[in-house]
Amino acid sequence: MSSQIHSIHQQLVNKDITCTALVQEKLDLLKQNTNNTVNALLDTLALDLAAKVDAKIANGETIGLLEGIPFGIKDVYMVQGTYTTASSDLLKNYKSAYTATAIQKLLDAGAIPLVKENCDSFGHGSSSENTIFGAVKNAINPDLVGGGSSGGSAVNVAKDYTVFSIGGDTGGSVRQPAGYNNVYGLKPTYGRISRYGLMAYASSTDCVGPIAKSIEDIRIVLNVMSGKDAKDQTTYASAEITPDSIANSNTIKTVGYFKNFIENDSIDATIKADFLATIEKIKAKGIAVKALDFFESETLVSTYYTLAMAETASNLSRLDGTNYGNRIEGDNLKDTYAITRSENFSEETKRRIVGGNQVLSQGFSDAIYLKGLALRDAIAENFEKDFSAVDIIISPVTPNTPPKIGDSLKDPHAMYLSDAYTVGFSLGQLPTLTVPQGTATGLQITAAKNNDELVLKFANFLKDTI
Amino acid sequence: MSKIMTVDVLSSIKGAQPSEAVNKLFEVIKNANTANTNTSNNHNNAVSLNDLRDDVVIDSSATEKQIIIENFPKEKNGYLVVSKVIEE
Repeated sequence: MSSQIHSIHQQLVNKDITCTALVQEKLDLLKQNTNNTVNALLDTLALDLAAKVDAKIANGETIGLLEGIPFGIKDVYMVQGTYTTASSDLLKNYKSAYTATAIQKLLDAGAIPLVKENCDSFGHGSSSENTIFGAVKNAINPDLVGGGSSGGSAVNVAKDYTVFSIGGDTGGSVRQPAGYNNVYGLKPTYGRISRYGLMAYASSTDCVGPIAKSIEDIRIVLNVMSGKDAKDQTTYASAEITPDSIANSNTIKTVGYFKNFIENDSIDATIKADFLATIEKIKAKGIAVKALDFFESETLVSTYYTLAMAETASNLSRLDGTNYGNRIEGDNLKDTYAITRSENFSEETKRRIVGGNQVLSQGFSDAIYLKGLALRDAIAENFEKDFSAVDIIISPVTPNTPPKIGDSLKDPHAMYLSDAYTVGFSLGQLPTLTVPQGTATGLQITAAKNNDELVLKFANFLKDTI
Repeated sequence: MSKIMTVDVLSSIKGAQPSEAVNKLFEVIKNANTANTNTSNNHNNAVSLNDLRDDVVIDSSATEKQIIIENFPKEKNGYLVVSKVIEE
């Protein structure tokens, strides 16, 4: 069982390394890195916490599994006293007044936060180019994008600058950058992890998601962050996933895939061939594979973006420079709002806010927004039907390999369409894991709602199969 | 005052216009076939009323209050300064 968390834990316990040396090494790597993954280093906090872990070990006290493990945080999570910018001009000097529940649980378990990570501004993007901190460069080829919106988080994990990172996934923002940088990235079932303290993009699909280099590390971090939280009424109580429960895949009898994802002109020929080869390997292990019907990519993308834009227009309406943010004074209150928002939001963020207000306004809401909601219901019903026939659905993560830096910004519509394979599972609120196998940008493994355990179980099976 | 609110006013973004890239998405929705869809919209995203959090005031910590004040764009004697509102 490969796990960086277990391995580092053992090294700390055996006194092979000190926590301070480990944290300092990672901070140095982050400081020197040229992939633009860092919005702010939490060096003082991290080194203080590391010294405490070292003191505990020196005193012969037992340390927990996550104690002293360095991790990264997408710059959309509140961590009290740290800058939380959402990679935006509007919040470039904003300090968190409180700490997000998911992050607090990791801190309580002793994990050490190193860095607030670069991402698309407010999660608005699929390439981590929509940021005031410079485009995130891909871990494998720096001429290519890091993916988005949690690009900095995925690149930090891929480069071993962090042991794991916490991204946020609204329509694929953990899974796609994980695929682009060949690491694991999980979007859990909606509601499994509290969203309290995660800056809201589209509240009905926003999920907290871990990125790591092994299934075991994803499992450990997922368990710590999961659970009901009175501060997020959409959360639910979930059972811990044990290593034994995901070791054996013998309960998985049938796997499905969406044939229209594969049989179309927009998928890269190699990704298609590699995906089909994976299907054959799964069949060879005695698992039945079913080709399933699903909604057209354009319908999925359009439904997702219609609803996400409507929600983000509402969520971001609070950002007007009154109570916080980079206020720019105008002639009167309304003028101050308008100048502050016009000058401080990126073009992509403005495009989404305007789109959201369009669909929510009279004359548009019935024809577009309400129809979008109806389509979402139909998509969710389709998933329910599918999961009565198959245990797992697998799919590619993206139709194509990562674009060159600069290309996505030129064609926003093409960028939206590149999310075709991730957004459907977000609308269904389903648990989906990207594994760095099967195609150049990985594979997605999806199970029915609340069945995150089965996703990890199948990932273990795939690791040994392909 | 006109009853028509344009998107720049609705969005508080000067000169904002609907974009072609986004309009293309909306066209797909307009033309989508929802014949088999339950048009009554049975969206099951609302939280249960039987499981609400306690309706009690929880005071913020001194640190939290201090940071909130630090974040004020304009501050005077510990108070937030805002533009005066003139009714139109």
